[in-house]
Amino acid sequence: MSGPSRASTAQPTMARRGGRRHWLGGYFWLLIALLYLPIAILFVFSINANTTLSFPLKGFTLDWYEKLFDTPALLRAVRNSLGVAVWSSLAATGLGAMVAILLSRFDFRGKGALTGLAIMPLIVPYVVLGIALLVLFKAVGVPLSLATVGIAHTIVALPYTTLIVLASLVGFDAQLEEAAMDLGASYPATLRLVVLPIAAPALLSAWVTAFTVSFDEFALALFLAGREPTFPVYLYGQLRFATTLPVLIATAVLLMLSTLTLILVTERIRRR
Amino acid sequence: MILARRAGAPQGARPADPRRRTFWILALPPALGLALFLVAPLLFMAALSFRTDLSGTLLAPFAPTLKHYAQLASTAPFLRSLGLSALTALGVAAAATALAYPLAYYLAFRAGRRAAFYLVLLLVPFWTSYLLRVMAWKLMLGGEGVINSLLMSAGIVDEPIAALLYNRGAVIVTLVYVWIPFAALPILAALGRVDVRLHDAAADLYATPFQQFRRVTLPLSLPGVIAAFLMVFIPTVGEYVTPLLVGGTSGTMYGNIIQDFFTRAANWPYGSALAMVMLVGTVALVAVGLRLVNPRRLLER
Amino acid sequence: MQPWRSRSAVRGSLGLVVVSLMAVACGGGASTAPSSAPTNGITPEPTAEATEVPPDQLTGELTVLDWSGYDAEDFWTDFKGTYPNVELGFEFGISDADIYGKMKGGSAADVFHPYTGWLQFYVDEGLVAEIDTSKLTNWDKVPDSFKAIGQIDGVQYFIPWDWGFSSILYRTDKVTGEVDSWDALLDPAYDGHVSMWDDGPAAVTVSSYIHGYDETAITDDQLADIKAEWTAQAPLNVAYWAAESDLVPLMQSGDAWVAYAWQGAYATLLGEGVPVAYANPTEGRNSWVGVYGISASSPNYDLALKFLDQKLADATSANLPNLYYYGSANGDVMAGITDETLKEAFSIDDPDILETTNFTPNLTAEQRDAWTAMWAEVKASQ
Repeated sequence: MSGPSRASTAQPTMARRGGRRHWLGGYFWLLIALLYLPIAILFVFSINANTTLSFPLKGFTLDWYEKLFDTPALLRAVRNSLGVAVWSSLAATGLGAMVAILLSRFDFRGKGALTGLAIMPLIVPYVVLGIALLVLFKAVGVPLSLATVGIAHTIVALPYTTLIVLASLVGFDAQLEEAAMDLGASYPATLRLVVLPIAAPALLSAWVTAFTVSFDEFALALFLAGREPTFPVYLYGQLRFATTLPVLIATAVLLMLSTLTLILVTERIRRR
Repeated sequence: MILARRAGAPQGARPADPRRRTFWILALPPALGLALFLVAPLLFMAALSFRTDLSGTLLAPFAPTLKHYAQLASTAPFLRSLGLSALTALGVAAAATALAYPLAYYLAFRAGRRAAFYLVLLLVPFWTSYLLRVMAWKLMLGGEGVINSLLMSAGIVDEPIAALLYNRGAVIVTLVYVWIPFAALPILAALGRVDVRLHDAAADLYATPFQQFRRVTLPLSLPGVIAAFLMVFIPTVGEYVTPLLVGGTSGTMYGNIIQDFFTRAANWPYGSALAMVMLVGTVALVAVGLRLVNPRRLLER
Repeated sequence: MQPWRSRSAVRGSLGLVVVSLMAVACGGGASTAPSSAPTNGITPEPTAEATEVPPDQLTGELTVLDWSGYDAEDFWTDFKGTYPNVELGFEFGISDADIYGKMKGGSAADVFHPYTGWLQFYVDEGLVAEIDTSKLTNWDKVPDSFKAIGQIDGVQYFIPWDWGFSSILYRTDKVTGEVDSWDALLDPAYDGHVSMWDDGPAAVTVSSYIHGYDETAITDDQLADIKAEWTAQAPLNVAYWAAESDLVPLMQSGDAWVAYAWQGAYATLLGEGVPVAYANPTEGRNSWVGVYGISASSPNYDLALKFLDQKLADATSANLPNLYYYGSANGDVMAGITDETLKEAFSIDDPDILETTNFTPNLTAEQRDAWTAMWAEVKASQ
């Protein structure tokens, strides 16, 4: 293959790749726009005096944000949700990674059963799981609390984390691991130094997914939270009497803006 | 997927396998967690489905009955709803997976160092209450909402389009829209295993970009595609929140029926029977599906 | 090495994790500690000989299983003022079935809040304790008819607290003429613009009003007719509603013209300036009453009784109509209402209104199961 002929075949390929680049990028940003559109609408209503979600707009105000910080119950609910989400997502990611490694690296008798059980929470209705856990916790004498919610959230996030990490580990070339072990590394060290770095991006995806599953989860929290509501439970309660809607919207928008700022800042730092 | 220390030696034949301790360390926590917090509740649910009604102590022995299963078998609307929900879930999963693939591809091969940031950017909207986001969408899509007002004032339609909301179509579109970012994640994870040099090699061999995709990228990403499909399909069979919010009267799904028997009727036994049928049916469907898909693909490699 | 898997990308993301962990750890220490079940509250002295601790020094914990939203301080302001050192915690339910299920499933709540129609089950299952009304200082403010609503087989198990009407709410600018019958909800003239409450027993109730059935003795044939009737009605709905916050936007946007509604939605829409009217059907409006009961397994009986007493007090009771457009069982409060919108919503100036109103009777477990199954089939048939 002579240089010029390779270049000439490379050129059209590059041009086509360039065209595809624009299409893919445009697709991504379109999706982002569609995802953030409802949030933009919520933002508009959070700075307007409307008490219901309807037009026309009634005038600019920052009252709702003020009221937000004056409502300790609301702030506590948000903190509860954050706590439950962080711990349950970490647990779910850890357990999901374990299951993924087991399923992709080992052969054992209960493999089908483990696979089925790890995926099963996807098909169990949350209301059934919530009731069953309520009855079982009570029978054993475990009091309801944010910890019991966290346990339930870990279980229901497990299928997501397992599937995501598994997708990155399946069929992975065993040679790297075998080479490491031949060089004297123990299997745990092999996992730590060879497998996990490869799976790290998938672990991040899994963690964010598990966090998302937990943070907006309502049905299980309603059953298992005891006296400390999470934010979705609190929000649903306030919706009952529509007059408190604007403060809730302001809370949601504020959470969103803080999170966006956080990740933008992180990205800025990373780029340096 | 057998990983043996020496090729051809099954793991069980070597009791001195140095990975055995690791195996148990990895296996015990998930097994314990699942046994306590998933299997036990499932057994409770199964037991409930054979209970006549809710009267009496819940954890005491009772005389089992098949009456709920019999009643379900003779209630055509419920069975029809189950079938329809399964079909809807198949459609949603197929659409979401297909639409998520370009997204995953972009993140894997085009986004460069920004990929993690873009990924989080995609998922962060889901930390805002789903309820509130759907309320905002309903404002846009309702009979006197923004879209209809624009269409009417532009003269494109004479009457507001009622079909944008409160029907099965709205449920399907909403579900696909909501699932796309999540479906992209397993595909992305699988694409992460594709070495870019394989693309270059394919180009060197005069493969068109499409051939390169079909022969190199797609097969390697297939586990991720399957994972994504399952991740969307399975929970969508029992979905109830979205039908409740945007389905109106014609868009209800099987999950709504189960939900209602628990939260509107306090009829846990019947609700459990409905849930058991959905569970067994979905597991069977997935098992059959995987059997059909996997052997062929694995052989091809 | 794939660029997007670069170490710095992963590091940046891990940084995000660490920061959020720190934020939560710093701010959320107390909130992530498990709260203990209130079984170690004050041990009650069942005999009336306890040395009375002054109210402002009384300590303890009480858990209330209530509907989402009822934890607002407006609804227990008297209790908070009188017993400032008692800790009140709330567990939430989203429906009567949910609350019943939680009490059955083992909720540790001391006090719970069901509505008429669902009271028999608690008594049958031994979940509720008898109320010692002699200890309620505000009991005399409750009209006798309301007191009777909390009695099952002559025993006072429940305290009435909030109440309201169900009737037909309609847009006067979309509906010609006056709506004066429950059958407006089934009228094909409003195709695509009706909104019915998502509740089987309510559907049975409406049908029994229209056709003159005896609600306490619906036969299987009548139930089959009711099912057919509502199956035909279902396409007339733009959507069912489950909570008033579903219904208000539907009526405000004009998607719904005619709806089964409680008076709270009526008052809210009036306040928003939407042209609506609340019907007085010839068959009579429906009325429901919310009651509080003490759990039979509660170790805090006396404290719970004090809570119920304070619920009936004037300030708390007045918040119901004034802030939330619900009726109060405190007769003095209702008599003192002056706001025109409220008087309109509660038909306070109509002395015959309570005569023509049909109060929801209590269901048996068989009726509950049959009627809810019927409704589930109606919805699944679409």
